[in-house]
Amino acid sequence: MNLLLSDDYLLQDYPENITNTIRSGHATMLRFNRKGDYLASGRVDGTVVVWDLETMGVARKLRGHNKSITFLSWSRCGRYLLSTCQGWKAILWDLQDGKRLREVRFRAPVYMAELHPWNHLELVAALFEEQPVVVDMTEPVDVKHILPSAPKRLNTDGDAALKEKHAKEDAKQMTTSIIWSVTGDHVLAGTNKGRLNIIDAKSYEIIYSDKICSGAITTMRTTGSGRELLVNSQDRIIRTFRIPNLSTEDLDLDTLQLPLEHKFQDVVNKLSWNHVTFSATGEYVAASTYNNHELYVWERNHGSLVCMLKDPKEEQGVIEWHPARALLAACGLETGRIYIWSVISPQKWSALAPDFAEVEENVEYIEQEDEFDIYAQEEIHRRRLDAEDEDVDVLTLDPSKALDEGDGFRMPILFNLGESDSEDEFIAVSTGTMRRRSPGEGQGDLDGGVEKVAVKKASGKGARSRKR
Amino acid sequence: MDTLVGHMAGVSCLAWTPDSNTIASGSDDKAIRLWDRVTGRPRTTARKSLAGQEMAPLKGHHSYIHCLAFSPKGNILASGSYDEAVFLWDVRAGRLMRSLPAHSDPVSGIDFSRDGTLVVSCSTDGLIRVWDTSTGQCLRTLVHEDNPAVTNVCFSPNGRFVLAFNLDNCIRLWDYVAGSVKKTYQGHLNEKFAVGGCFGVLDGEPFVASASEDGSIVLWDVKSKALLQRIEGHKGVCFWVDVHGETMASAGQDHTVRVYRNIRDSGVTNGPIGEASQELRTELPIRVEDVKMEDA
Repeated sequence: MNLLLSDDYLLQDYPENITNTIRSGHATMLRFNRKGDYLASGRVDGTVVVWDLETMGVARKLRGHNKSITFLSWSRCGRYLLSTCQGWKAILWDLQDGKRLREVRFRAPVYMAELHPWNHLELVAALFEEQPVVVDMTEPVDVKHILPSAPKRLNTDGDAALKEKHAKEDAKQMTTSIIWSVTGDHVLAGTNKGRLNIIDAKSYEIIYSDKICSGAITTMRTTGSGRELLVNSQDRIIRTFRIPNLSTEDLDLDTLQLPLEHKFQDVVNKLSWNHVTFSATGEYVAASTYNNHELYVWERNHGSLVCMLKDPKEEQGVIEWHPARALLAACGLETGRIYIWSVISPQKWSALAPDFAEVEENVEYIEQEDEFDIYAQEEIHRRRLDAEDEDVDVLTLDPSKALDEGDGFRMPILFNLGESDSEDEFIAVSTGTMRRRSPGEGQGDLDGGVEKVAVKKASGKGARSRKR
Repeated sequence: MDTLVGHMAGVSCLAWTPDSNTIASGSDDKAIRLWDRVTGRPRTTARKSLAGQEMAPLKGHHSYIHCLAFSPKGNILASGSYDEAVFLWDVRAGRLMRSLPAHSDPVSGIDFSRDGTLVVSCSTDGLIRVWDTSTGQCLRTLVHEDNPAVTNVCFSPNGRFVLAFNLDNCIRLWDYVAGSVKKTYQGHLNEKFAVGGCFGVLDGEPFVASASEDGSIVLWDVKSKALLQRIEGHKGVCFWVDVHGETMASAGQDHTVRVYRNIRDSGVTNGPIGEASQELRTELPIRVEDVKMEDA
């Protein structure tokens, strides 16, 4: 509703300054929920922290992993959060009560796992040195479907040597990045050899495969509309592609194409990119740089560099663009701080004094005929009341807003969270002695977690004085 | 029934969190306390006081707390004080998030819009200010030409209008985008006290309810400004009235809280439909159902 009153749409739509720095442990992964009011961060010690962007405070802490978090994915409704860690498992959290809804174990560390865009009980995961899987969690026992990383060879009648060679090549194809298409009917997968596969989510078969870059694909992202694909690869080039509508009835697999739109790269310094993200509308592409402190922001229409964001004295890893606003979250690799980049809108002085208006240049004031006429007080009052003949509607919502508020999950407000910064990294060993808590300690089991948290929190005060 | 003990001076305002599990109370001892509805105990917040008490009250205002409001999500608490400032608190951490240099007189009323992006505050200096919750900037100031003191303010159910209670016996409905008064409701008495009122909806039709200093409750139709009903209730001043669905509650100077309920007429009077519905509402059948005496 504040949009009705602000001129912020006149402001630039990419962030410029650091407006907040938040920290809880060492963050390695970030994800906004679909509405953009919460930010989930995954920590090195395996804790998942959910931040409330309105207060910039911690809304929930989820303890269950004991290895560094590798990926996070929100359900559409914002109630469920999927987290994966290097410890071979994924946990689906229910944010209503903060308990784990499901836990999925894999046979390898998980690069990433993403929830189905419409069904929070289905996920797709890319595994280290293993073939990717679709996991269906509808039943009490989850069902895993293994997806291929290399397309089926057509010429089966070739000689044995060639076949063997192909088989060897195919075995080396590993999927490193995997995401759902916007409808959830297809899976887009990038491999370590630079191939992009489109996999049908029903038949689990590759319907399209093409080599799009020369290095391993590290990150793939789509815009909200799902029509643009952003690919970061180890060949130091960021590419954007247009995705054809995969869900049409008459999808012709033979003519299916993913046209390359832009290539973003630093030709001079040959920088490689840690992480990439689309802006809310897909108008901009942002990337964090390897071995460098800057964030690069490109504009997608012309493919030109708009700005470089530099402020923190450290390299930044995962970056995330807010789903609606010009706000960028990036986490520092060294300190694990989360930097929030945003636009500072200036205070309009005319808003404070309604009799005044801001003008660009001098305006000659022309007095109106009846401006200084004097009427009796009653007369003025009566006229005013007569003028109030307009129809007012105090109930009907703005239709675009009403749709948004429909999905009724509201995160409960917790009062016993502990300090929102990093104090709970320390624990008291005995009176007066503190030590840094080793990652994931004492958080393996379900029920013990709550009590232990209280102890750690109590020690927070002492730890802080020691640290400074 | 339970008594919440903790404040060192008079309590002048209360606010419920949207999930109804927590009550915030603002007091003349300059502190705000949060209470658990179920246990009646103070809420434990993250910031424990050094003395090891259950909870430190939210302290920061330099004078009496006069009004409180929770954001629709319950994560932010806004407070207005006699120190002329509006404070926004992070409820979870019990931390002051933002202080807004709001007015030049005590802040008398405060409310959040339904999406939580706007805060409106008013003061006896006659100004109504609309604030952006996220940036803390003033987006609009509403002031009437006569500059009457504003003692209470609330957003309309859809958040597009602001209802302001003025000390010149008028309640004004402002369009805060256009910055103009759309409706003025008159017929009640309000010159001295910060009486309260609110919007209500019956059969899909909105109405405005307000307390009056002559002890009655007055209901108006939002669109036509017509006085729908005057309910004689309290002896002395009626201070506050609140509507929830078909139930209405009022508090007065005679130490009573009265609860009213809407009674539906099944029979529809003859005549054209439009007129009939009009008829039904002008004699809006609300009666005193339950009168509960309480200690002062």
